[in-house]
Amino acid sequence: MKKTCDDWRRHFPAGKFGAHLFPEFEKRAKAVSAEIFRVKTSVEAADVVLNLARFTNARKVVSVSSPLQEKAGIENVLKSADIEVYSDQGDIATHAATADIGISGVEFGIAETGSVCQDGYAVESRLVSTLPPIHVAFLDSGLIVPGIIEAFEIISQVFDRGYISFITGPSRTADIERVLTIGVHGPSRFIIVAVDGELQGGGEAS
Amino acid sequence: MTGENRNIRKEIGEKLKDEALRTNLGRFAEVYPAARAAALENAGDVEALREAIKQMKIDTVDRIEEVAGRFEAEATKRGIKVFRAADGNAVFGYLMDLCKALGVKRIVKSKSMASEEIDLSPYFKKNGLHVCESDLGEWIIELAGHKPSHMVMPAIHLSRYQVADYFSKELDKEIPPDIAFMVQAARRRLRGEFLNADMGISGANFGIAENGAIGLVTNEGNARLVTTLPPIHVVIMGYEKLIPKITDAALILKLLPRGATAQLMTSYMTLVGGPTPVMVKVGEHWVEKTREMHIILLDNGRLKAAKDEKFKQIFQCIRCASCLNVCPVYTLVGGHVYGGHTYAGGIGAILTAFLSGMADFEKFHELCIGCRRCTEVCPGKIDIPGLIEELRVRAVKEHGLPFVMKQVFENVMTNRRLFHSLMRAASLGMKPFAKGNLIRHLPLFFSGLAKDRSLPTIADKPLRDRMKSLIRKPAKPIGRAAFFSGCTMDFVLPDTGESIIKVLQDLGYEVVFPMDQSCCGKPVSATGDLETARKIARLNIQAFEKEKADVIITGCPACVEALHSYSEILKEEPEWKDRAAAVSHKVREFCSFVAEEYGKRGRLTKTGGGPKVTYHDSCHMKRVLGIAKEPRQLIEAAGCELVEMKDSDKCCGMSGIFGVKYAELSMPILEQKMNNIRNTGAEIAACACSGCMVQLQGGLDKQVPGVKMKHVADLLAEKIKD
Ligand code: SF4
Repeated sequence: MKKTCDDWRRHFPAGKFGAHLFPEFEKRAKAVSAEIFRVKTSVEAADVVLNLARFTNARKVVSVSSPLQEKAGIENVLKSADIEVYSDQGDIATHAATADIGISGVEFGIAETGSVCQDGYAVESRLVSTLPPIHVAFLDSGLIVPGIIEAFEIISQVFDRGYISFITGPSRTADIERVLTIGVHGPSRFIIVAVDGELQGGGEAS
Repeated sequence: MTGENRNIRKEIGEKLKDEALRTNLGRFAEVYPAARAAALENAGDVEALREAIKQMKIDTVDRIEEVAGRFEAEATKRGIKVFRAADGNAVFGYLMDLCKALGVKRIVKSKSMASEEIDLSPYFKKNGLHVCESDLGEWIIELAGHKPSHMVMPAIHLSRYQVADYFSKELDKEIPPDIAFMVQAARRRLRGEFLNADMGISGANFGIAENGAIGLVTNEGNARLVTTLPPIHVVIMGYEKLIPKITDAALILKLLPRGATAQLMTSYMTLVGGPTPVMVKVGEHWVEKTREMHIILLDNGRLKAAKDEKFKQIFQCIRCASCLNVCPVYTLVGGHVYGGHTYAGGIGAILTAFLSGMADFEKFHELCIGCRRCTEVCPGKIDIPGLIEELRVRAVKEHGLPFVMKQVFENVMTNRRLFHSLMRAASLGMKPFAKGNLIRHLPLFFSGLAKDRSLPTIADKPLRDRMKSLIRKPAKPIGRAAFFSGCTMDFVLPDTGESIIKVLQDLGYEVVFPMDQSCCGKPVSATGDLETARKIARLNIQAFEKEKADVIITGCPACVEALHSYSEILKEEPEWKDRAAAVSHKVREFCSFVAEEYGKRGRLTKTGGGPKVTYHDSCHMKRVLGIAKEPRQLIEAAGCELVEMKDSDKCCGMSGIFGVKYAELSMPILEQKMNNIRNTGAEIAACACSGCMVQLQGGLDKQVPGVKMKHVADLLAEKIKD
């Protein structure tokens, strides 16, 4: 799968990121209607996704894999609950517009704004995060940077070409009478599954 | 809304009656300042950020060719086709060729102001292409056949009921005026536009020279779809969007969402660097291809501005619309009246001058009242009112003032005796003068529109005629203070003039009042007529240099500003330059001067026991002179209890000739001020500016009769025993 950068972690500035920023990140993200599930293990992560699929009566899921999702075995968990899961590029192109849930990984979170940064170079990662009404993003809870400035320090190192997004809560508009309304062209629910230190034991260690 | 055929008076009248517009804008203007402040709380050093954006943009515009060249080279290297378009026609030609060559029939757009500027959508439609706006607000106004009325919230002038009507027509079924429902209807209707489009067109919030990438800031997610689904992506952006480095984008992103909508970050911020993969259906199968990507850099007058020492500032604009959100006039009438073809408000007036021409600018530039509230919030630190004044000067240079105004300025304002005899005549009730066309252009002469404001009366005995009984030379004067009263204090508020003299004499100053002093020239220079302003300046310089005073005091900040500008407007005249500077340097604003003197004497302390007073910050006082603390200290030193009103530094609606000429706009602005004063429960409203005093006094008389108007000097003088 195409990525703007194959190894984002290498570019995190030492000492400037970590799970200690997670509470601030969580507060800001919730303030803009993102839903956050912080879990300790990949098993718990799989539970969160399965429950979500059940509660929303999801029949069809499109998913672009990331290491955290693989570890949690998300696709198999969903399939065994009789939910259609598509993860091939061609299948995603066919089904994203009619899927109930899209799942992808994101690279890091930004405490200042409650945003997550997604590497969207691969078209399928954009399809799963733009078209379905629900987007589930897998995030390593140790990879939180303090602010926009630090986020761009990382981006400036990795961004030669590609596609990078900050996603901050669900799609919204206030274009009619300034009344805030959720879910225009993008997902109306944005759900972050933040997994604690499974891969590298969080940021402080690196 | 093009320059020809605009009847601005009629437009104002209509918009003031437009309830949807008044409600939406009014409500937004109410909550915006606090919401913005809350959003900035965790932004770090905001002033440093603003300065950094300004410097980054100045650096860019100073080498715009180099930066544009780098951008083009880097984008090209990565496979983007870059086209530099001189104007709208060049864009049309390029895009029509492209559409023909690639068989494009359907186009979906996300917001691009540059494409609105050149009327791209109507052009496409005329040529048989299907084009659809996908930003909800833009789509609504497209259905309505309107132009955007706000740069960030284009449909803010419409009510849910109006939107429901447009939707019902477009979707051919009854759509209820339920906002959530309508948004979902739009989502369903527009989804097909994204999925079936052959080409996506977007704008850009910035273009990064270092790697040829662009950035898009949106809430709805339409820009993500426009840059993901169609096989061709065209970006249309003005040169002012260029920034040198990737990290420069962070500066913009820190302040753009916070200023635009009081969000810490919009829902989506997207960076597109080079062509990205796209899925294309070939027969039954989807295959990945590389998207075709084009960037059109639009000039359309921008590069000319880039070379102009003053107007290169327009490159500092990041289109956040903060300036509109705090503008007293914009928030009353919206961008259809206070705006040009595409861009609204004060910055809109400036952009219009460069992108559409001076004729369009001249239709609505007078709506800038110079209150400078925008300059406090603009992330690019653009001197919007200053640039508008400069454009006025250029317009007057080019084709002069309207005939009557010119007659008045040249014949009356430069002749103190004639001017002052007209003022006296007015006090005798010689109505023919007051009603005449001529008199309307003099400062202080107010038209008959007095429904919500009493007209100031010209005093029976102007200050200048009272001097003999007022002047008391102290036994051992500590210095000589010349008093510049300004016409308002001289002829309308002579009692306040007396207070100033009393306070200065009480401090131990010998006060002199040069009888040859005339109008400061501010009402004249504000129209752009610098020639007459210079003549007036020379008269006042002569009048004051004779007095050999240590300091020149005035109790009106607009006069202070005018007197300070003498050295600037006369800098090209060798025989006047130094004399002007000498006089300008001695000029001090009353409150700041007295606070300093009181401080030295240990008198700048809260004493208490007096009435409740609320203080109105005059625009010129607070934002031009930067004086806000001292008048408050003096009010407390005078024993009064200071109570703050809401928006104490929002314009009172006077602003020189504006308050008279556009009385219908001035009155609602005044009304807000009256409400804010009333809500404090104060007995006295104080300020330190004669222009504001006249306006506030008039408003209080009619609307809040229990509250008295006083100048800070009056409060101080009352404490001094004769
Ligand atoms: S002039 Fe300043 S405040 Fe107004 S839109 Fe531009 S950047 Fe924003």
